[in-house]
Amino acid sequence: MSIEDTPHAEGRPTREISVTVNGEEVTREVEPRLKLSDFLRNECDLRGVRVGCEHGVCGACTVSLDGDTVKSCLLYAVQAEDLAVETVEGLAEDGQLHPIQEAFHEEHALQCGFCTSGFVMATKSLLEENPDPERDEIKEGLADNICRCTGYQNIYRAVDRAADKLSDDIEAVRTGADGEEGA
Amino acid sequence: MSESEPQTGHEAGDELEGRSFTGQSVRRFEDRRILTGEAEYIHDVTPPGCLEMAIVRSVHAHANIVDVDTSAAEDHPDCELVLTIEDLQESYNPQPCGLEGYEEWSLADGKARFVGEPIAVVVAADRYLAEDMADLVNVEYETLDPVVDGMDARESDTLVHEDAGTNVADNERIAFGDPDGAFADADHVVEGTYEWGRVSGVPLETAGVVAQYDEDGDSFHIDCNIQLHTLVDDTVYETLGRPADRVELNVPADVGGSFGTKIAIHRYCNLAAMAAEQLGRPVKFVEDRIENLQGGDMHCSERTYEMRLACDDDGTMRGLDVWFVDDFGAWPHYPVNQVLKPLSVLTNSYAIDDVVYEYDLVLTNKTAQTAYRGFGVDPHQYALEMLVDDAARELDIDPTEFRRRNLVTPDQLPYRIPSGNIYDSGDYPGAMDRMDEILDENERCEGGLLDPETVEQRREEGFYRGTQTAVLIEPGVSGSDWTDRQRTDDETIQNRSREDVAELPEHLRAEVKPDGTVLAWLATDSSGQGHQTLVAQLLADELGLLPSDIEVDYLDSVEAPTEYGSAASRMAVMLSGASVGVGRQLRDALAELAADHWGVDREAVSYRDGRVERSGTDDSLSLAELAELDDEARTHVSYDYEHPATGFPEFDDALTHKYPVYPTAAYAVNAPIVEVDVETGEVEVLKFYTLRDCGTMLNPMIVEGQAHGGIAQGLGAALMEEFGYDQGSGQPQAITMFDYLLPSTKNMPDIEMEHTSHPSPFTETGAKGVGEGGMIDAPAAIACSINDALEPLGVTADKLPFTAHRARKRLREAEE
Repeated sequence: MSIEDTPHAEGRPTREISVTVNGEEVTREVEPRLKLSDFLRNECDLRGVRVGCEHGVCGACTVSLDGDTVKSCLLYAVQAEDLAVETVEGLAEDGQLHPIQEAFHEEHALQCGFCTSGFVMATKSLLEENPDPERDEIKEGLADNICRCTGYQNIYRAVDRAADKLSDDIEAVRTGADGEEGA
Repeated sequence: MSESEPQTGHEAGDELEGRSFTGQSVRRFEDRRILTGEAEYIHDVTPPGCLEMAIVRSVHAHANIVDVDTSAAEDHPDCELVLTIEDLQESYNPQPCGLEGYEEWSLADGKARFVGEPIAVVVAADRYLAEDMADLVNVEYETLDPVVDGMDARESDTLVHEDAGTNVADNERIAFGDPDGAFADADHVVEGTYEWGRVSGVPLETAGVVAQYDEDGDSFHIDCNIQLHTLVDDTVYETLGRPADRVELNVPADVGGSFGTKIAIHRYCNLAAMAAEQLGRPVKFVEDRIENLQGGDMHCSERTYEMRLACDDDGTMRGLDVWFVDDFGAWPHYPVNQVLKPLSVLTNSYAIDDVVYEYDLVLTNKTAQTAYRGFGVDPHQYALEMLVDDAARELDIDPTEFRRRNLVTPDQLPYRIPSGNIYDSGDYPGAMDRMDEILDENERCEGGLLDPETVEQRREEGFYRGTQTAVLIEPGVSGSDWTDRQRTDDETIQNRSREDVAELPEHLRAEVKPDGTVLAWLATDSSGQGHQTLVAQLLADELGLLPSDIEVDYLDSVEAPTEYGSAASRMAVMLSGASVGVGRQLRDALAELAADHWGVDREAVSYRDGRVERSGTDDSLSLAELAELDDEARTHVSYDYEHPATGFPEFDDALTHKYPVYPTAAYAVNAPIVEVDVETGEVEVLKFYTLRDCGTMLNPMIVEGQAHGGIAQGLGAALMEEFGYDQGSGQPQAITMFDYLLPSTKNMPDIEMEHTSHPSPFTETGAKGVGEGGMIDAPAAIACSINDALEPLGVTADKLPFTAHRARKRLREAEE
């Protein structure tokens, strides 16, 4: 339900905020106490943001905020004002899975899938900082996210596979058909 | 053995020249919608006009409820509804319990019996407001002394349920063979006490319900993530006082984990449905994590075992005596039979004829138990293996050799254990030998983790390493007839005949759609096991199609027949049996339809690879053409696959006497290499070797995934996870994930896995159940490996989780 339909008790404060979500500007009137995770789920209809604990342990609600990886259950929506949020919904392009999503599928790195958005976002952040991580670095980089199904084994493999895919992509861009150096 | 290579998976649309899809790592259908954020879990279901519910919960473990003042909430303009016990008793019924004689209402009735027990519910426009309203409800308590310890509860004057007259809700002593004789004759009797801490599945997705009431039909539609929705729907429709066909439970295709725990979320379903009826609007409830950990009816076994093993000087095990107390919390919910399931693997992999099995199921002021992966077998296997270690040391025999001497041998299989269940197939000594080889090749060599020089050097630095192998059996594919044993009197059980046994089959439906693809319907719910993929790949083989030609959907509790569903390591076996049956039905139906169309005998046509051909001609009809010809739903078929045990007279005795029947025996030999820091007490698992056998692997990728996850949960139970309670006040000490510690990437070692395959003679495809593996076998393996590591110091992991604190305590005691 949108906030407009909500009957308000006398004197409940609200504030208008604008947030860039997956590249689009969203403007809403919200209560200051509204968590960013609930804002993304209920106001922006981004249900790929999953809520598993609401106290910052499980990582299922992990999103990117202005390039930083954050747990959206530990922030209020008003704290995201004028900032850019990226969620898992922003990764696939034209129906084509992002290489990290592909790798998770290919390596069976998800079972119930409830933690998956968070792991995909954490992996994206990890590989942006370290394109070719060692196993210990992967374990360190994903230690803020909990999975209850996979025992992490296939997640490690998916990260390896995603790293290979992404470096292949970069290589392909660099040695593009026209021979120009890419970024 | 190096880390196994990434799976060579196949996409659902790949052609496999001349090969079947069964046995291939077909990648999951379920993944795409999940990865893109499009999957709809219960938390995402919000119909128009939906209100939200919050719960007022008891802050005391044991207290009379003197008064519930709802006036401030009811007077508030944002409050839509408050329900208290009086409202429930006016219109509804108590919830069915796991044992007779316990009247449990969905809200506390005059007395709170655990911290977090629901006392009232409030409904408002959204959850934020609903919690505001909950804060306005004022409960006045008169506190009582709580019963917190399961062992003490047996004798305590304080009763959780005064009407019951005792805190021991259920007890049974069962003797098999001549245990008294065995213990009298044996050269040695070894005793041990072992404790298994209160743990649970803690899936990442909490419980959720969206209830809607239809006044015209006086019926309910309840979307929820309950597990076994076709089996436990009675806990909802009986409470609501409506017939089963007017209370539709619908589970989303994606459930964020359950592991058994969501079998008992009926309280939430009931409260949301009651509120929806009172308001005439949809009502949603999403359990938050604190509610889930504190009072969500989802803890599992908490046991103290006192065990005895009778053995001879030559290391022969003669008799086993099992006694334990299981602390079920405040209410004996449905999975009371968790105390009985260990009978299905009573002697684990050992040949012991004379056994006595006894338990006290006690009630205390804690949140109630539900099922959790393993269903009570994991603590049994742990305690038994601890006893075997203790006996080996007392007899001064190498623990591995002691085990080997008593293993059931391949020529004894299928092997009937004293309690009547049968182990189907395998080679237990061979598995022990292979694991020895693996360790020799990889770790007990120069540079290996168990290189004797390294082990010695680490020990000098205060780090004690070890590993211990054992063959651990996972009972698979439960039947249903035994599950009400505790509600059946002894005389009835004595006088039963085989004809009285009523087993539930597995139901599967399929139909051909106009475009020639096939739509199958599952009568069960899923929570990450990949059932849609599995059925698609099995049916693809039956019908000569690609898995991508097959869509799989779910039936709700009204459409589906009452059946068992996803639990007890059942689905791979049951769904493969059902798929074979439904495939046969569909091939026959299509051939008959084509024969009628051509006006020829059935024998003149044959089904092949998605077409029916007319012999001796070039005529053929595709599935799409046949669907178009079908105006009588002849291309809609259903099949009920009988439980495999019912077809084998070997199981008749156990079935008749309501002993747990699990006709498959998958097994594992684990070698977790552990290292204990004796200064801090911290235990690290450096690497986890496992050799597993589940007969035919239908989808190896899924089989391995299940094992990985089970092992991680087993590691948690062995080392980290515990719902502790303050012994004085009964206050729960693990109500956040900061206190209830789940294994993260920091705790999980690399798992090295290998498989053997001894197909089951009892199942359609030779597959065995694997859903609870890992959780069943990892805790025992880790505990015994700790025993091996600390053997020089005389310390054992006799209480799980073996936390750093407990390890230090034991080490200090050993030093004194």
